[in-house]
Amino acid sequence: MSSDAPPSSTKLFFREAIARALREEMSRDERVIVLGQDVAAFGGSYREFVGLYESFGPARVRNTPVAESAMIGIGVGAAAAGLRPLVSITYMDFLMLGLDPLVNYGAKARYKTGGQIEVPLVVKTTAGAKGQGVAHSQCIEAWLMAVPGLKVVAPSNAGDAYGLLKSALLERGPVVYVDHKRLFPTAGEVAAEETPVPIGKAALRRRGDDVTIATFSFMTRIAEQSAERLAAEGISCEIVDLRSLAPLDMATVCQSAGRTRALLTLEEGQLTCGVGAEVIFRARESLANLRTARVGALPAPVSSNPILEAASIPDAARVTDEVRRLLAER
Amino acid sequence: MIYKLVVPGPIEDVEEVRVLEWHGKSGRTFEPGELIVELETYKAIVEVRAAQRGILREMLCAAGEWQKVGLPLAVMSDDGAEALPDSLAAAAELAVEFEIN
Repeated sequence: MSSDAPPSSTKLFFREAIARALREEMSRDERVIVLGQDVAAFGGSYREFVGLYESFGPARVRNTPVAESAMIGIGVGAAAAGLRPLVSITYMDFLMLGLDPLVNYGAKARYKTGGQIEVPLVVKTTAGAKGQGVAHSQCIEAWLMAVPGLKVVAPSNAGDAYGLLKSALLERGPVVYVDHKRLFPTAGEVAAEETPVPIGKAALRRRGDDVTIATFSFMTRIAEQSAERLAAEGISCEIVDLRSLAPLDMATVCQSAGRTRALLTLEEGQLTCGVGAEVIFRARESLANLRTARVGALPAPVSSNPILEAASIPDAARVTDEVRRLLAER
Repeated sequence: MIYKLVVPGPIEDVEEVRVLEWHGKSGRTFEPGELIVELETYKAIVEVRAAQRGILREMLCAAGEWQKVGLPLAVMSDDGAEALPDSLAAAAELAVEFEIN
C-alpha cells in the first residue's frame, strides 16, 4: 500500500504503459502471445499494442475475427496447452460472449483437474462510458468478482496499468485486466525499473480523517475531484484505490474506514450486487459503528446521448452530495 | 515584441502533450505557415505552424518533455535582439495554426 511515486520513474501515456508491460514480458518469456481484433499491424484500438507486431512477429501478435467466444476459447486452450496468451476484448460488453470459456473452463481448469492443468490467461478489456451507448459502455467487473478462480484487476493510472498487467502476465491462473476508455487520454509516472504491482493490494491515494472513499479505475479521478471540493468545505477524505477487485484488499479498506468510521464506495457500474455492496458488507463484518453509502450508476442503460450518459454515471457533484449526507448521519 | 508559443487547443480529451520534434533551433525565423514543432497526444500528432512571423528565442520544453494545453513551449519575438523578460505572464501568445494528424 503506497501512494508515493516510484523513486525513479518515467512519464508515459496510458497506452504506452500497457505496451511496455507486454514488451517486457514478451521479451522475457516467448510463451506470452497477444490475440485480438486489430492488435497486429494496426496496434490496437487504443494504440496500446503499437510496436509489438513489428518486434515479435505474426506468430505472437495475431489478429482475430470479431468472434469473442472463439477468441477467449482459443486463449483458454492455448493457456492450458502451455502458452501465456493475452486476449484483447476491446469493449467489456463483448466479454459476455466469452464468459462460457472463461468461467466454465478457464477459471475452473485447475480445480477440475486436481492441479494438473493451469490456465495462465490474461483477458484485457476496456470498461466505461464515453459516448458509445448502451452496449459499449458497461462496467461488469462485479459479475467477474463472483467467479471463484478468476482474478480481476482495474488500474486507475498509467503506473498501475503497467504494474498490474505485468503481474497478470506472471499469474498461474486467469486474470481479467480492466482498463477504462477515459484513462487512455491520461499520462502518468511509471517505474523506470521493472516493477510489478502485486495483485490484491489497494493503494492509498489521499489521506484524510472524515470519510473513506473506496473506489477503482476511472472513478478514482472522480473521487479525487470530489475530495478537492470537499476539502474547501473542511471535509477531509481518504481515498482507497482498490486496484484489485478479486481478491479484494479488505485490510487496507478496514484500516482506513476503522479510523474515519465512514465508508463510501464509488463505482461506475450498477449498485445491485456491485463492488460497493461487497466491500461494504465485508467492512461491516469487521467494523462496528460504520456509516456507509454507495454511489454508482443509475439503474438504466447508458445512453449515447452525452447529457443522458452524464446523468446516469457518477460525477463529483453526486459524490460530494452523498458524502455530506453520510457525514450528517449520527 | 515578445511572444509565448503555447500548446494550442482545445483538442478533444487532451490535457497534456509530449514534445516530439522542434523544427529549428533558437535564432530561427519562422514565416507564416512554417512548421515550428510537432507534439504527441495520446493518439495523434499535432503540427503547430506559425500564423505570424516570429523568431524562436528559447525553447522551454525539449523533445520528450511534457506540457499542458495552454502553457508555454517556447519564447519567441519579432526582433532577435529584444531582451527576454523574466516572466512570460504578460507576453502575448504567438498566433499559430495547428493540425491534428
